[in-house]
Amino acid sequence: MTRLVRSITEMEGRFEEKWVLVSDDEPEAWASDRPLAIVGHETPRTTGPTRVSGAARYTTDVSLPGMLHVAALRSPLAHGRVTGLNREAALAVPGVRAVLDSTDTLSFRSRSGPLYAEPEHAGALLAVVAADTLVAARAGVKALALTIDPLPFVIDVDEAFRDQRIDGEIAEESRGDVDAALAGADVRVELTVETPTQLQTALEPHGAVGWWTEGELTCWVSTQGIFDARSELAKRFSVAPERVRVVADFIGGGFGAKQGAGVEALLAVELSRRTGRPVRFINDRHGEQLDAGSRPATRQTVRLGATGQGDLVAIDSEVLTSFGMTGWRAVNTPAMTLYRCANARGVEANLKLHLRQGNAFRAPMVLEGVTAVEQAMDELAITLGIDPLDLRRRNFVDVDQPSGLPYTSNQLLACYDRVAELSGWVGRDALLEPSEDGLLRGMGCATQIWWGGGGPPSHATIRIGGDGIATVVTGIQDIGTGTLTAAQMVAAEELGLPLDRVRVTGGDTRPNVYGPVAGGSQTSPSVLPAVRGAAAEVKRTLLQLAGDVFEAAPADLDLVNGRFRSSDGALDEPYTEVTGKLGNATVDGSGMRGANPDGMRANTFGCQVAQVAVDPGTGEVRVEHVWAVHDIGRVINPLGARSQVEGGILQGMAFALSEEVAFDPTTGVPTNAWLDDYKIPSIADVPAMTIAFVDVPDTALNNVGAKGLGEPPIIPTPAAIANAFRHATGRRALALPLTRARVVETLA
Amino acid sequence: MRLTLLVNDERHELEIAHTARLADVLRDELGLVGTKIGCGEGACGACAVLVDGRAVNSCLLLAAAAEGHSVTTIEGISRDGLTPLQQAFIAEDALQCGYCTAGQVVAATALLAVNPSPTVEDVRAGMVGNLCRCGAYPGIERAILRLGQVAPA
Amino acid sequence: MSVLRSGYVRPTSLGEALQLLAQPGARPMGGGTDLAGLIDRGIGQVATIVDLQALALGGIRGEEGRVVIGATTTLSDLLDAQDMLAPYTALLEATAQAASPLLRNVGTVAGNLCQHTRCWYYRGPEWTCWLGGGDTCYAQVGDHRKHGLQAGDCISAHPSDLAPALIACAATVQLGSAWGDRDIDLADLYRRPTATERSLVDLEPGEIILSVTLPAPPDSSVYLRAGERQGFSFPLVGLAAARHGERVSMCAVGVANTPHVLDPVDPLAGLDGHPQSAWKRTVLATLVERSLATVAP
Repeated sequence: MTRLVRSITEMEGRFEEKWVLVSDDEPEAWASDRPLAIVGHETPRTTGPTRVSGAARYTTDVSLPGMLHVAALRSPLAHGRVTGLNREAALAVPGVRAVLDSTDTLSFRSRSGPLYAEPEHAGALLAVVAADTLVAARAGVKALALTIDPLPFVIDVDEAFRDQRIDGEIAEESRGDVDAALAGADVRVELTVETPTQLQTALEPHGAVGWWTEGELTCWVSTQGIFDARSELAKRFSVAPERVRVVADFIGGGFGAKQGAGVEALLAVELSRRTGRPVRFINDRHGEQLDAGSRPATRQTVRLGATGQGDLVAIDSEVLTSFGMTGWRAVNTPAMTLYRCANARGVEANLKLHLRQGNAFRAPMVLEGVTAVEQAMDELAITLGIDPLDLRRRNFVDVDQPSGLPYTSNQLLACYDRVAELSGWVGRDALLEPSEDGLLRGMGCATQIWWGGGGPPSHATIRIGGDGIATVVTGIQDIGTGTLTAAQMVAAEELGLPLDRVRVTGGDTRPNVYGPVAGGSQTSPSVLPAVRGAAAEVKRTLLQLAGDVFEAAPADLDLVNGRFRSSDGALDEPYTEVTGKLGNATVDGSGMRGANPDGMRANTFGCQVAQVAVDPGTGEVRVEHVWAVHDIGRVINPLGARSQVEGGILQGMAFALSEEVAFDPTTGVPTNAWLDDYKIPSIADVPAMTIAFVDVPDTALNNVGAKGLGEPPIIPTPAAIANAFRHATGRRALALPLTRARVVETLA
Repeated sequence: MRLTLLVNDERHELEIAHTARLADVLRDELGLVGTKIGCGEGACGACAVLVDGRAVNSCLLLAAAAEGHSVTTIEGISRDGLTPLQQAFIAEDALQCGYCTAGQVVAATALLAVNPSPTVEDVRAGMVGNLCRCGAYPGIERAILRLGQVAPA
Repeated sequence: MSVLRSGYVRPTSLGEALQLLAQPGARPMGGGTDLAGLIDRGIGQVATIVDLQALALGGIRGEEGRVVIGATTTLSDLLDAQDMLAPYTALLEATAQAASPLLRNVGTVAGNLCQHTRCWYYRGPEWTCWLGGGDTCYAQVGDHRKHGLQAGDCISAHPSDLAPALIACAATVQLGSAWGDRDIDLADLYRRPTATERSLVDLEPGEIILSVTLPAPPDSSVYLRAGERQGFSFPLVGLAAARHGERVSMCAVGVANTPHVLDPVDPLAGLDGHPQSAWKRTVLATLVERSLATVAP
């Protein structure tokens, strides 16, 4: 029986009440102590063979007969006015089929752009050229012979703040009386830190292939959300969603930046509509680094007040974010939620700057907020002379303070204990002894908080036929997180079939089985319960059929590891004895994610410790070891979970050490929007990593007990490294990343 | 210009621009799209192929310069099924999004061909030109080391 | 004289190659790793690519206490010649840290020595800088955190790891052109660019490197460098030191737009730095101290 109920849904901290479809037949959560045959055991990802053999097809690989290729003309200035574009010359280039610029009336609706006459950031699209080959398209762009007049621009934070270039309202949230509490505190610390602009840098750039045929639209998009992309295309081009098919079989990374259809798909579709040909638009690397978004830079001031024993009495956080012309505000979330404190205030403003608008990058805003708050906590611990981990334990809180609601689960204290044990935290001061290699060593810690509870709507269907293969259909897309493998595991577990009897699909809207965008660490806790629901329905039917075939009571039968067994053990037959009789018939099941529990908040937690070695003579900071312990509820696939944490730590490490967009002050143009100058980590940079999970299922949250894992591991790494640097050197770098230049200047 | 390329032991007669990069010719002319382009400037290694057995960035190699040499792509490496190295990549979860994976496999194949039992340091030095944004490096390292352990002495 | 029919030629004799290179717009190519990048970013005019791979200009041979390295020897070839090059420690250390294995398998010694600067203003399509023929060294008014320490019209930083190692080891280069050959100190291959000659390499039009010759090895040598991450980056500061008896030669990159031979008495002389690059003085001073300790008897 299915019903419509009102339920609270959450995406990256934005809460919304909506009608959701739920099923009365949803299975109960697996009990914490119930042994599971597949879930919780290391399982290689189902797409492994396809990916390692080069057979995986990404959007960049889609090639269709007659397909046109797109090259883009981008603004070479942060702010300018286009004064000349020679369209005729571009159209005269052999092979060029179409040119679009800001003077064209596009058939899709857009508030501004996506082609600009007065670009407000470097790399903004001015024109696109579609041609038979990419070489011809690029020649067409050159033939456009852009002339552009510079206009005044602002990219400097101080200048923007002085001129009060504020986007919309300044956000303020508070509880208690922060000023009085700070004034009355035994101890106060104040810290101002800056975080850099970090680029997602997915190795597959943003891109799409659009193809209009007879009023039907097929679009291959490198996207984290195929259904969002479908909605966007349908709405913008005023076409019914069922006439739009979005495909994303393989996505070469997203990290938050690939939401919805994206401008590449919109323009590819527009060009396809005009030319009648399939059109491919893939960013080149420079275009990607200039105009695919970023984690915006912040400047944050955190003031903490505490009693002499270390109880926080006041948290006051002020944030300036360099989002571009507009953005959203969530940097203060950690300040408002991380620790028990009756008096807390967060003030947050976006500065209007001539920069490409920031967008989501793995733990957007929260990573930045944690990076500041956790450095301030470190300073407070130093001021108080308290062990930094003890200070955190002392201020642990088990309710969500802004709402007053309890958490569905919170194993943070266990994370602290485990990470301390693994890292040898209590002995960390021994690192301060002079070393033979002359390096300065230290250890620092930081706490993680993130949402990641997922929620409805999320659906799955499972069909099993005469061949005995169960096919799980989902509407999710695997951007590399391994969620399709997790879905395969959950289905096999619930069905009682071996893994190799279960296939799982995703990345295509055509089956019309809805899955959520891969964002907010919500995919697993949203879709896996739906998969389990579908599997339970199929299994119920199979047991009925087995009862018919074996002349037994279905309630007396179970399906375990591909065999039907009776409770007395008398019957033990392969499941194919039943499915083999299906012929062309199929057994189908469908499942949906149930509503989130009322009156609770779902969050993930964790703590990381980092050990660094600093060479004061050369400014080099090397991260030697990171210990990470996270509470993500039940760990579905330890193999994939470990990979997620490793990857998160490395991206967080690079945020702390090397990744930073450099802007030319005279033009406002990023100078390092390439991969040779923008340094993401190499294999030689990888520290030792010790990774553990508390692994206590969150049975209140959903029927598999899992929370999300995409975001959590990146969040505490930068602060842990910055705090380790402080421990090692006695100095705090007031801006990240800790490049050689900054380290030498900080230690001078 | 006309040229003949030997790719995965097959000869191809092609008409290409003299500045055409090998990566583009492999992908666009020969349909060998397992070779990926990540940066186009030799900084990421997603485009790695073997030329006479050595791993190179095919985005920085003019196709014309590859004439007279033997080019092997990920499709060539995988022609007779997954190699033990590729199986180790799967077992160690040495990939996430997989976009860099073909290049990683090509580079690791070349590394193991000259150094069947590499140390951790050898692996890091040998694989440093292949970036992985997802951060699958620990798995990549484990996978290559696993091969070294089973290689004949 | 050959008639150029195609944009790409692969001559099979040196004489033919030099004739081809004597023509306007002809560019020599070793492995092409630098050239392909420049073509992709539209830097410089390339009418004809003269591919030198068929000239047998590669290879390393020892003769009478010297080592001669052919121009098209790849960096990987150098690392494969550990035995012959072992006395030139700095060169092996520099080569092992240069670029990545994928690039070293293709990149040649001559190409590494002649590579264009990595200055982001020089390479970025948004600017036409002074070195590229424009009016302004944008680095001096803009972001020069990775740039050189010298004053001058162009404050780009020289990027080759091999050059300082070879210069410290007193290498010479043999140059060839349609008009004849010459033999110069490698240090003299580089020059400060002038208003009329916006080039950092002192080659005549059509002239190429044929080989690099290392004289008798130093008593000891070392190459130390500070990169942007643990592996695979251009040197922010690189320093080679070689001791010949009592005398130590030091050459640095990343601090000037050419490889910079340091004054042993005052190694930082002339390297005052610019506001955002002055931090490199600390690094250079450290590398000098450490390299002197390493090469000391």
